[in-house]
Amino acid sequence: MSRAFLVALIGVKRFIADRGDLAFGIALPIALFALMTGVFGGEASFNGTAHVADLDGGRAASELLERLERVDGVSVRRYAKPDLDDALDRSAILNGFVLPAGFTASLDAGIPAEVRILRRGNGGDAAQIITAILQGIAADLASESRIRNGVAALAPDAPPQRVDAAVQRLITDARANPPVRVETQSLSEDPDDGDDFFSRLLPGMIVMFLLFSITLGAQTIVEERRNGTLERLLSTRLRPWELFAGKFLEGVGRGMLQALVFLGLAFVVLRVGGPLAFVQSAALAAIVAASASALALIIAAVARTQDQASWIAVFITMFMTVFGGTFFPVGDSGALNILSRFTLNKYAIDAFDGVISGAATLADRWAEIAVVGGAAIAGLAAARLIFRVSSEGK
Amino acid sequence: MDDFLAADNLSKRFDGVQAVDSVSFAIRSQEIFGLLGPNGAGKTTTIRMLSTVLAPDGGDVEIGGYSVTRESDEVRKRIGVCPQELALYPELSASDNLVFFGRMAGLSGREAKSLAADTLERVGLADRAKDAVRKYSGGMKRRVNIAIALMSRPQLLFLDEPTVGIDPQSRNHIFDTVLALRGEGMTVLYTTHYMEEADRLCDRIGVMDNGRLIALGAPAELKAQVGDPATTTLEEVFLNFTGRSLRD
Repeated sequence: MSRAFLVALIGVKRFIADRGDLAFGIALPIALFALMTGVFGGEASFNGTAHVADLDGGRAASELLERLERVDGVSVRRYAKPDLDDALDRSAILNGFVLPAGFTASLDAGIPAEVRILRRGNGGDAAQIITAILQGIAADLASESRIRNGVAALAPDAPPQRVDAAVQRLITDARANPPVRVETQSLSEDPDDGDDFFSRLLPGMIVMFLLFSITLGAQTIVEERRNGTLERLLSTRLRPWELFAGKFLEGVGRGMLQALVFLGLAFVVLRVGGPLAFVQSAALAAIVAASASALALIIAAVARTQDQASWIAVFITMFMTVFGGTFFPVGDSGALNILSRFTLNKYAIDAFDGVISGAATLADRWAEIAVVGGAAIAGLAAARLIFRVSSEGK
Repeated sequence: MDDFLAADNLSKRFDGVQAVDSVSFAIRSQEIFGLLGPNGAGKTTTIRMLSTVLAPDGGDVEIGGYSVTRESDEVRKRIGVCPQELALYPELSASDNLVFFGRMAGLSGREAKSLAADTLERVGLADRAKDAVRKYSGGMKRRVNIAIALMSRPQLLFLDEPTVGIDPQSRNHIFDTVLALRGEGMTVLYTTHYMEEADRLCDRIGVMDNGRLIALGAPAELKAQVGDPATTTLEEVFLNFTGRSLRD
């Protein structure tokens, strides 16, 4: 079996060694990923930076900035006041916040405190959103300060620490059980669905590129058959089944390289889920890659030339991409739905749905995984029957 | 001298065409045996059967005392094959190619690396060992093709037209390598279309045509069958046996 792994390893090494292949195999998917992310709005949440000069430096100012940093997608960049002014003058930034000296003292004394906003033009969309968030936090701080002062006035003999603890408890309760609850309802068919980008497009791209990369890898097998490398291997101690297994594993390895690039981008750049979701997605990608690799071996067995292998691969990949519901839902009935059942994409994308975002586990997608895994096993069995090493049929 | 290879009534048929027809011959230990013939004579098919890649329809071959049909694993331990085509991975370095095929021949990683270094030295490519093979000249690629065949430490080496399309320097280097290998105890089966090559290298020659072995003997013996051995060329012998009509 170790020789099968060596065959797989040398195949992956060849893929990596050919800078052109690698560039097209990895860079183009990344470019498409960036394009689709931009066009279809793939960001998981709002992203923006609050440019702040904290002239107060007190407890309440620090608390305000900490709360602002805790908001998803918001980062805080601190400046000295002259630097903030300079950045605004140069239009390096369009919006800045100043917490004046005495901000904490004013809040503690129950006197209205002030946050100054310096803005060029309208400051930009992100700045307006951050301003709204900051106003909400400032209002919360003001309310909390008023409650604290009010409670302290009602119980003037109580130690300040007890007053603070009681007020903090009430605030925490209020946050856990807000008087007004805001709920977001997904209008997609599947309750586990996120938006279309994460439920269909991203998994669709991963599956599509897995299929493309591996089925086009069938060309390399045809090429090896033509130049005699496969046959030469059979004059060594390598057994035919080891060669077959090696080529299968090579396909899985090549596919996983691409899948990991996609998943890495999705998880690192878009922060779609946690480490467990990444591991589960990678495992799922390996199952899809196994199916595609078996398909590649079938294509390699059927095709006589590299061109034939390419065209068969393109046809199969396009058929599965279009009819497998990669870019649009296939619906519950009709011809499209029937056609989609003959594609790997439908089951693979459904399996990825929710797993990528961490909303579902592999166990939740067992039926889809069973179909994709079953296709891998059936494809492998069929490929083994028709796999040829030489052009004369052996 | 003992026979290292003995082919007995070897036959193979493809799509109604008898590619190899009841071919029998023997190759002695440490002999360079030339297998000559026009295109389509059945030389390559014969080598593919001898090297266990293709199963014969009839007959059998013993290599080192082991049957090609029944004990192919044992046979593979004793042979090295250099096919006509450049059967190597051009994206990888010569060293990587040799190490990989060495591992396939059953060597450990360390053994394969050590033998690869020695073999590249032998074929004059040690200084380019780490370069991708696709950057090599035609002659250098041919030498890598041969070097790969040596990675199994074979007792019997099949060289199928190893000097096609290369310059005289590389060809000479290959001749020297083949003669040195024979000197070290290796048996060689050599096919070529260059008659002067066969005349210079081979101890005995078999001539094939239309799937049959039609002549067998030392170059001088074959020349004597056609004319004066001192003045007759091997090309004249070849044309005498196989005729002057063009082949597909």
